[in-house]
Amino acid sequence: MTIFGLTMVTEQALASEAQLGDELILRLQRAEPSAVAEVYDAHHAAVRAFAKRLLGDAASAEDLVHEVFVSLPQAVRKFRGDSALRTFLISIAVNHARHYVRAAQRRRRAMSAYGDTETREPTDPEHEARRKELAELLTRALDTLPLDQRVAFVLCEVEERTSREAAEIVGAPEATLRTRLFHAKKKLRLALETEGLG
Amino acid sequence: MSKDLLAEATRALRETEPVSEFEARATRARVMTGLHQTRVRRRTRLAFLLPIAASFVAVSAWGAASGQARVVLDRLERFVGVTPHTSSSAKPAPRKLPAVPALTARSPEPAAPAPSPEPEPVPAAPAAVAEALPVRPTASASASARPERIDPTLALYRVAHSAHFVDHDPVRALAAWDAYLSAAPNGQFAPEARYNRALSLVRLGRNQEARSALEPFANGAYGGYRKAEASALLEHLAP
Repeated sequence: MTIFGLTMVTEQALASEAQLGDELILRLQRAEPSAVAEVYDAHHAAVRAFAKRLLGDAASAEDLVHEVFVSLPQAVRKFRGDSALRTFLISIAVNHARHYVRAAQRRRRAMSAYGDTETREPTDPEHEARRKELAELLTRALDTLPLDQRVAFVLCEVEERTSREAAEIVGAPEATLRTRLFHAKKKLRLALETEGLG
Repeated sequence: MSKDLLAEATRALRETEPVSEFEARATRARVMTGLHQTRVRRRTRLAFLLPIAASFVAVSAWGAASGQARVVLDRLERFVGVTPHTSSSAKPAPRKLPAVPALTARSPEPAAPAPSPEPEPVPAAPAAVAEALPVRPTASASASARPERIDPTLALYRVAHSAHFVDHDPVRALAAWDAYLSAAPNGQFAPEARYNRALSLVRLGRNQEARSALEPFANGAYGGYRKAEASALLEHLAP
């Protein structure tokens, strides 16, 4: 009985959650600022993390996050509820990424030309320096990839999403996504070797 | 080896430090401002477009109900220079060159007429011409009681055209061509009118006047238009 009772409670909770979700989507479609604010508070960290990993640049990542949430009321009209709202937000970010990837690349080139790299006091100097160096190296290597391969690599390898989920985000078949990932890894290994760290 | 390095680099990228709370809040504020601006823009656009659309609908409805829409459209088409497809009544006479007249000395066959436009209510022609050239009422002309305005010079041309090519009356035709040419000396059909006037003079046996009327054509004053025919006629008319 207890188990049955628990099951009942869980079903009720799920139903009310779904209802809340539907309500939220309707409010988003009406472009209610409070709805966008609610979604931002719940999902901004995930979108920001993806943007930062994809672009490798904090400023461009912030711009992309801004773009995602501003365009959300318009984009949510296409939301069918087949995937989670968070997944949908990431797919919006992917769709808007092209422009920001270029901006981030330009910014990186300018920074390296002026020798101006971010310097922060590391907590564990050696480990932090090595980690930072590798992350920057990989970001530069990602710049050499086409956008679809870059997105596939970030989603599957950096964010550790399943190929199914990643395929859902980019709107491509799983097989296509795996092919993109294969080519991306091949090129990245080559790029890292060329940098002399392989 | 490189595989390990790729994995290590991937892990390093994954572990990049999170953005500060301050940046997240700043972006949130930007998002809310952006949304607000979008809403304001949309409202402003609506405030402009709605009255325009409402006015357009109201004017269209009034035009359709009062029958003014057709008149306005016709005027507009005439102003723009577009020939309406449906209403042939408003179509101006196409500028079609008359055919070459037969070169008989007695009666040079008049040029094939430019397709005669459908008769319209003829506006007031000069009094003398109007008396000399009564317009023959036709069924469609009498039926067309529509309040459409027609170019008066075009009406004169039609009268002359009818006298020349339909009635084969050189006296009336000559008077009508003169009337048209005095009303529109540089009109759309002035060259045709001058040539047909010359033919009327030939028919009336007023050879001297006919020669002086044909000479400009033979000399190429109108380009190649009727040049050969005029030259041939001049040869026949030579004293």
